[in-house]
Amino acid sequence: MKRSARALAALLVSGLALTACSSSGSGGSSDDSGAPAASALDQASGVTTVEFWHSMTGKNADALTALVNQFNAAHQGKIEVKPLFQGTYDDLIAKYKASVQQKATPAVVQVYDIGSRFMVDSKQIVPAQAFADKDGYSLDDLQANIRNYYTFGGKLQSMPFNSSMPLLYLNDDAFKEAGLDPAKPPTTLAELGEMAQKLTKKDDSGKTVRYGFGAAIYGWFVEQLLAENGALYCDSDNGRSGKAGKVTFDSAKGAEIVQWWADLVKGGYAANTGRQTPDAQAAFKAGTVAMHLESTGVLRGYTEAAKFTVGTAPFPKTAAGDQGGPVIGGASLWISGPGHSDAQKRASWEFEKFLTAPEQQAVWHTGTGYFPVNSKALELPADKEWVAKYPQFRTAIDQLKGTKPTQATAGCALGVMPQARKGVETAIEQTIAGTKTAQQALTDAAKELQPAIESYNSSVG
Amino acid sequence: MPTASSPPEPRRRLGEHGLAWAFLLPSVVVFALFILYPLGRTFYLSAHANDLFGAPSRFVGMKHYTDLFASADFGRTLVTTGLFVLFTVVPGVLGALLLVLLMESRIRGVRLLRSAFALPFAFSVASASVVFSVFYNPASGVLNGLLSHVGLGPVGWLTDSQYALVSIAISTIWMNLGYNVLVLSAGIGSIPGEITEAARLDGASGLRLARSITVPMLGPSLFFLVVISTVNALQSFGQIHILTKGGPDGATRTLVYSVYEKAFAYGSSDFGTASAQAVVLMVVVLCCTAVQFGVLERKVHYA
Repeated sequence: MKRSARALAALLVSGLALTACSSSGSGGSSDDSGAPAASALDQASGVTTVEFWHSMTGKNADALTALVNQFNAAHQGKIEVKPLFQGTYDDLIAKYKASVQQKATPAVVQVYDIGSRFMVDSKQIVPAQAFADKDGYSLDDLQANIRNYYTFGGKLQSMPFNSSMPLLYLNDDAFKEAGLDPAKPPTTLAELGEMAQKLTKKDDSGKTVRYGFGAAIYGWFVEQLLAENGALYCDSDNGRSGKAGKVTFDSAKGAEIVQWWADLVKGGYAANTGRQTPDAQAAFKAGTVAMHLESTGVLRGYTEAAKFTVGTAPFPKTAAGDQGGPVIGGASLWISGPGHSDAQKRASWEFEKFLTAPEQQAVWHTGTGYFPVNSKALELPADKEWVAKYPQFRTAIDQLKGTKPTQATAGCALGVMPQARKGVETAIEQTIAGTKTAQQALTDAAKELQPAIESYNSSVG
Repeated sequence: MPTASSPPEPRRRLGEHGLAWAFLLPSVVVFALFILYPLGRTFYLSAHANDLFGAPSRFVGMKHYTDLFASADFGRTLVTTGLFVLFTVVPGVLGALLLVLLMESRIRGVRLLRSAFALPFAFSVASASVVFSVFYNPASGVLNGLLSHVGLGPVGWLTDSQYALVSIAISTIWMNLGYNVLVLSAGIGSIPGEITEAARLDGASGLRLARSITVPMLGPSLFFLVVISTVNALQSFGQIHILTKGGPDGATRTLVYSVYEKAFAYGSSDFGTASAQAVVLMVVVLCCTAVQFGVLERKVHYA
């Protein structure tokens, strides 16, 4: 019994923290006047410390550390930003919730795209817009679609930092071998399916040595395809005009997308590498899948690792008439209000302005492959040089420029978005396994999600 | 026997008790802090709903429990958990027994084999799971590579819901093998030599010796392994987290993994439901152990 109790202990480590406060600290005020003026920092004595939680690893973490060091050096004796890695985005948000209960939130926190609604509802933050308004600081340089994603109630809530977009990646060599022109990539799901058939290659024994298509079972791609179609993922205009009360991904369009995917797998034209993104990436890099969906962020890694010419194409439309576009992904930076001094809030804002300035975004973009959130960054020589070296990135730039910011491309702002994404992933798996039709699987997923949505909305009040 | 020994003087008894408590105190404190308190807290949380940040917000009584038992998903989780125990405990213990019995036959290099079989014991769950994920990799995995040489496959070891649980069970069996072999080897070593010798003189050897002497004499070790393996299987987390994250389509979502998902994964902080599941898990472990002690132990022969 000792051992089983120990298993429980893992769960309850956070429980120890709960005793201090039985009610949540959610009553803080973070209205527009929550942003202090620049003088707050001038009046502060000594060094103002900014605790910054993030989820960056590897090369991205190196690039981030370099930027933080640069900021700290420029504000020596005045501001010190302390970056703290907190695990995956999911881990980070779990820890952030605990920190709210303990009234010990970090000054700046990096939260993934789908955590945005929760951050707004948490009432723990000072909107970026409040600072910008106070300062008369223009946010116009921020890329319009990216700004659109993080805007709630007409106000920019957080500063976008690391943004990415999905692309269709191509194995150009495989295209040529199959007699296809990589300059004419598929633009719709139907075309992609046809080409996948042509690109699938078997050896003499009938074993598939190359699949035409392959992507991780990642709900993000379904979100993207629905947005390409201009369809909404949840009600209340994708949760933008009010709190979303239910998801709408179980539409005929949603079912069409999931069924398309499952049919490609069942037909033997798409590899099923499961949910793990690294497995799907490995398959593309190894040349065992010819077309592949992934974020812009992996482009550099692909061109360095692959022994073939890596091509990129705009993310496919669901059908020829689609008027939508991709939804921005990645994460943004949130400034904490309650429990933080005016000097800290101000220092946090200075840090965010620094990170999103054209020079820093150019460094960030070229060092990581994330899309620059500041459109001026693309005009800097260092950035132009990088794009010249990786011309495939041009696809992403054009794709975003060609996307009109709408409610569909703003993405669904749902408090339980991570669970919604997981529900869609389960639906894809069920459709591939053949245990359900796509429509049935999505309907069930939406139904299972409903209690979570309602419980979330009722706890937000 | 009231007169056989007179009770000690009260003062001395007090001193002894005081001393006993002083010795016990550190472990009592640790026990209370890290086991009793979390246990009580789990019961408390399981009866409360949560606010946005996972803090208990209002009393809901047995609602989390009734919701759990009304949900088909949870039923499936229980079945998966049961299957996982079955798939790991039975082959894990029998496999180790077979290896140990084979090593009893006097073949050359048996010491080397014994070390080799005990080797998995030295691997942490995390590193072993990463190695297995390489074996199982759908595109470049070793296993599918081997299968293709004999014209089979590819098998979706971790991506096909039919195979995923078995694949994780295989990796778990391997991870536990070293420990099981060690325990059984020690058990065999402690069988008195004269018993085996007597049996040999009576003409028993090979299977007969194993069936009538070695295995019955290993009873206590085998019983110990069955209990420990069952509890371990019920609590397995690392390999599931690294290999499948409970998927595909929930095929490898065991009770422990479900607790984790509800409490921490996917931005969920449903500590109420997670705690209710943790209580169910505790009851399951308790029942399994009680049944094993009640039924199996009767048949164990302690030399």
